[in-house]
Amino acid sequence: MVSALRARKQMAMSVFEQLNDRLGSLAAEARRSLVRVSSGRGWQQGSGSGTIWHSDGLIITNAHVIGRGGLRVALHDGRDLAARVIAADESLDLAALQVEAVDLPTVQLGNSKQLHAGAWVFAMGFPYGVEGGSTGGVVIGSGADLPEMPSNGREWIALSLHLRPGHSGGMLLNSDGKLVGVNTLITGPDVGFAIPTHIVKRFLKDRIGVMEAPSTAPPQRESVVIL
Amino acid sequence: MPDVLQNLSEEMAGLTEQIGASVVRVEARRRLPASGVLWEKGVIVTSNHVVERDEDIHVGLPNGSTVSATLIGRDPSSDVAVLRAEADLPVPHWAEPETIRVGHLVLALGRPSERIMATLGVVSAIEKGDKLPAGMQIDHFLQTDVVMYPGFSGGALLSAGGRVLGINTSAMRGISLTIPTSTLRRVVETLLAHGKIRRGYLGVGAQAAKLSSSVAQKAGQDHGLLVVSVESESPAEQGGLFMGDVLLTFEDTPLRSPEDLIRALRGDYVGKAAALKIVRGGEVHTLSVTIGERPAR
Repeated sequence: MVSALRARKQMAMSVFEQLNDRLGSLAAEARRSLVRVSSGRGWQQGSGSGTIWHSDGLIITNAHVIGRGGLRVALHDGRDLAARVIAADESLDLAALQVEAVDLPTVQLGNSKQLHAGAWVFAMGFPYGVEGGSTGGVVIGSGADLPEMPSNGREWIALSLHLRPGHSGGMLLNSDGKLVGVNTLITGPDVGFAIPTHIVKRFLKDRIGVMEAPSTAPPQRESVVIL
Repeated sequence: MPDVLQNLSEEMAGLTEQIGASVVRVEARRRLPASGVLWEKGVIVTSNHVVERDEDIHVGLPNGSTVSATLIGRDPSSDVAVLRAEADLPVPHWAEPETIRVGHLVLALGRPSERIMATLGVVSAIEKGDKLPAGMQIDHFLQTDVVMYPGFSGGALLSAGGRVLGINTSAMRGISLTIPTSTLRRVVETLLAHGKIRRGYLGVGAQAAKLSSSVAQKAGQDHGLLVVSVESESPAEQGGLFMGDVLLTFEDTPLRSPEDLIRALRGDYVGKAAALKIVRGGEVHTLSVTIGERPAR
C-alpha cells in the first residue's frame, strides 16, 4: 500500500521534484550513519568525518583525520563518545575506530568495482564543520591510472563534485544510496577523490579480520516472513 | 522498482559508455594527452592547443590500441585541429545546438587515459562569437559549468539525448567553452579541402576613431576605423584606399573596432569584390575592393 501511494504521489510530481524527493530521503537516511570524528584539544583540535561500518561501533575514516590523539566520535543521535584506533594505515589513508555502542545504524555497501564514468554520486560529511554537508555530482572515472594521481597502483574514484576540508573520511554514496567510497582528498575546488569501498574491505580483512559489513540489508524487525 | 535518481544515473553512465566509443585519446603534446572525437570515418576533431606538434601524433582508441595519426590542418581562430587516423569507430550523431537551452544538463566526455571519463554540468550561456577575444572566430559557442578534468580538451559535449553538441576546450582560462557543431563543420570542411583556413586580407593598419558629429550623422554611426597605414601592393592600395580614410562599413557590416574588421574579413571573400563605405574629406564614399588572401604567418 505504501509503495502504491508513493507511486501515485510520484506520478503527480515533475522529474525535478522526484529527483529532489529522492535526494532528500537518500541524504536523511545516510545521515544516520555519518559521524563527526574529532581529535586533539585546544588550538590543535581537528575534525573530519566517518561512517559507521558495523552496528557494534566500528567506524571507518581517513588516517589523516585521527592524527592528534584524544579521539571522539559524535553520533547522529547526539551521543559524543570516546573512540580508540583499532587499525590505521597511513599509506592507504584509512583508519578503523571503535566506540562503545551497539545497534548503530549502518549504510548498505555498494559495488565500488562497478562504478561507471558518468554515474551519479553523493558525498556527505562535515565540510568546514557544517553538519552533514552534502555535495552531488558524477564519477569522472576510477582505477589506478587517473590523470593527476601518481601511478603507484593505488585505486581511486575521481569525482566531479565539491569536497571541502572536513569531508575527509565521510561517505560517498551511489544513486541507490549505497556506500561506495571514503572521501579523501581534492586536487582543486571541483575535483575530489575517494577510496573505493573494496579497498576498505581489504584493509579491514587484512588488519582486523572483518570480512564484510554484516548489514548488506538493514534489519527489518517488523517484516513477517511466511514459510 | 528503480527510482528517478537511479534511472538518471544509469542513463548518464550508459550515454557515457555508448558515445565514449567515439571519443579517443590524442597524444600530440609533451604533457598529459588530451581527447578527440570522431567526426566522420577516419577524421578526428580535437582542440588546436593540445596538438603541439605537427608530426609523431598518436590516437588511443576505446579498444585500448593506439594508431598513428596525421595532421590534416589546424585553425587557431576556433581552437580546432583535424586529424586523420585509421580508426574504425562509430560516428556519433553530431547535433546543431539549436535545441539546447540554458539550464539543460550536459555531460563532458574525455579520454586522457585508457578509459572514458565524464563530468556533468549545466549549460550556463549560449553566446555569440563577438564576446570572444580578438583573433578567435566562432559564430557562437556554448558556455557550461562542466569540470574540464586534465586532458578533457577536445572531448565531446553530450546532450541528454546522446547527441554531440561540440567539442570542449579550456583554452580560455576559467571558462568551459564548447565549439559547436556548426563551427566544426565549417572548419573541418575547409581544412579537408584546403588544409588551412583561408582568411581575407585588406592590407591596412587601422584604429578606432570617433567621428565628428556632422560626419556621424551622415554615416549613421559614432565610430569608424581610421586608416593609419596602407601596405604597398595590397588589396587596399589597389582598391584606392588612402591613409587618413575612415572605414565605416564592410559589406554593410559596421566597423567600430579593429576586431570588427578582423571578423568581417572571412575566407569566403578571398578573390571577391567587397563594398567598403568610407569617409574622405568629410564626405561618405563607397569603394569596391577585391579582397586578397592573408599570407600565412
